[in-house]
Amino acid sequence: MSTVHAVAARRPALRSWLVLVVCEAKMVVRDTAGLVVPVVLPLLILVMSAGSAAEQPVADGYTALDVFVLPLVLTIVLGTIGVINMPSFLAYYRRTGVLRRLSATPASPAMVLVAQVVVSVAQALVGLAGALAVAFGVLGARPPAHLAAALGVYALAMAAMYAVGMVVAAVAPTPNSAVAIGLIGFFALGALGGMFGGRSTLPPALAAVGEWLPFGAAVEALAAAWVGAPVDTAHLLALAGTVVVGAAVSAAFFRWT
Amino acid sequence: MSPPTSAEPSGAPAIVAERLHKRYRGTTAVHDVSLRVHRGEIVGVLGVNGAGKTTTVEMIAGLRRPDGGTVRVLGLDPQRDRARVRQVLGVQLQDAYLHGALTVAELVGLYRSFYPHPRPAAELLGLVGLDGQRHVRFEKLSGGQQQRLSIALALAGAPRLVVLDELTTGLDPRARRRMWATVEGLRDDGVTVLLVSHAMEEVERLCDRVVLLDAGRVVATDTPAGLVARAGATTLDDAFVTLTGKQLEDVE
Repeated sequence: MSTVHAVAARRPALRSWLVLVVCEAKMVVRDTAGLVVPVVLPLLILVMSAGSAAEQPVADGYTALDVFVLPLVLTIVLGTIGVINMPSFLAYYRRTGVLRRLSATPASPAMVLVAQVVVSVAQALVGLAGALAVAFGVLGARPPAHLAAALGVYALAMAAMYAVGMVVAAVAPTPNSAVAIGLIGFFALGALGGMFGGRSTLPPALAAVGEWLPFGAAVEALAAAWVGAPVDTAHLLALAGTVVVGAAVSAAFFRWT
Repeated sequence: MSPPTSAEPSGAPAIVAERLHKRYRGTTAVHDVSLRVHRGEIVGVLGVNGAGKTTTVEMIAGLRRPDGGTVRVLGLDPQRDRARVRQVLGVQLQDAYLHGALTVAELVGLYRSFYPHPRPAAELLGLVGLDGQRHVRFEKLSGGQQQRLSIALALAGAPRLVVLDELTTGLDPRARRRMWATVEGLRDDGVTVLLVSHAMEEVERLCDRVVLLDAGRVVATDTPAGLVARAGATTLDDAFVTLTGKQLEDVE
C-alpha cells in the first residue's frame, strides 16, 4: 500500500476558516472606498432627508423618517455591500488568479465565498449600527414596533441582496464589468424600489415591478414591520424568491477561473 | 475505488501521466504526452513557449481536466481524490496573483493554515529570502519578490511533491541561485519536483531527467547528459536545437 493512502481527505480545520475570514476582513478594511461607501453614503442620505421627514407624521406617531427614510437607508446599506462590493471582490479574485491559486490548496475556493459573506454581514451590521445610532440618537427616530419582524425582514433582505451580488459575480467577465454591472444593478433596483423619491412617483407599471424586486420588497416589508403593520407575504415571497433564483443562477454560472 | 492505484507499492512513481490530451478551441495544446516521475526525482519539463509545458503540469496538478489520458499523483487521481492530492502537492503557478492588500506574513499564515502539518513560517520566508518583507503588502512587492513568495507558498504545506512552473523566470541572478539551492534542499528531503523551465542552466544543474516538449508532444525524455549525447551535441542548448529545431532563447 502506498503511504499516501494513509493521508485522510481532511478538509482545512476550523482555524483555517477563521484565518481566511480575518484575511478577507483585512482586504475589505484596506479597500477604503469599499469600506466607506456602504457606511457613509446611507448616513448622508439619512441626514439629508431627515430634516423634513422627521416633521412629517404618517401614522401612530411614526414620521416619514421612520416609515420611508429609515427602511430605505437600511436597504441601501445592504445593496451597496451585497450588489456592488462583494461581486467586485470576487471578480477581482477570479481575474487575478487568487481563486485559481486557492484551488491548488486543500482550501476550496468556496471557502472564500463564505468568508466574503461573513465579512459582508459584519460590514452590513456596522452600517446598520451607524445608521440607527444617528437615527435614534440624533434624529429622534422611533424603533420598530415589531422588532423581531424587522430583524427577520432585514436578514431576509440581506440574503436577497447577496444573492443578487452572487449573480453579478457569476456573470461578470472582468472586475471592471463587475463594478459596472453592480452599480447599474444597484441603481436600477434602487430606482424601481423608491430610492429616488418613493415608488409613488414612478409610472404605475414600473412601480408595480419595483415592488416585486428585492430593493422595493425590502423597503416595503421593513416599513410595515417598523410601524407594526402585518408584513405583506408577497414581499417576503419576492425576497425569498430572489434568494432561491440568485443562488441557483450563480451556482450554475459561477466560474473559479 | 480505483484498483490500479490502491495496488501500487510504496515505491510507486510520484507521477504517472499516460497519453494526456488537451485541446483549446480546436487547437491541440497537448498531444499524447506521457511521463513518469519517480519519488525523490527532479524532472524538468523543457520547451519553448506554447510547447504545452504549463498545460501538461496543470493537468498533472489537477488544475485542468485532460480531454484524454490519465494522471496518477502518488497513486491518486488528482481530479477524483482532489482533497488528498492537495495535501501532499505544492504548486507554484505561472502568473498567479494573491490577495493584493495582505502582507507577506499574512499570506504565509493563510496558506499555512490550509495544511495539517505546515512548515514553520520563519523557515519558509528564510528559504526565499523574504524575512525583511514580512510586513509588506503583496501588491507592493516587486515582481521577483512576488514570485519568491509564490514559491514559499508552494512549500507551505511541506509537500511531498512540488510543481514549479517557471521557477526563476524574472528573478535576478542572486535570487535565482537561492531558488536553486532551495530546490536542492527539497531533493535532500526526498521531495519530488516537477520543474517547468526554459532555462538550460537551471535544468542542467537541477534536473535528474528532462522531458523535452515541442508543439504539445514529447520529443525526448532523458538525463540532461543523455539528451546531449543523443543529439550528438556538446551542450544542452545545442541538443535542444537539434531535437526541436527551435532556438530556446529567441522565443522569449
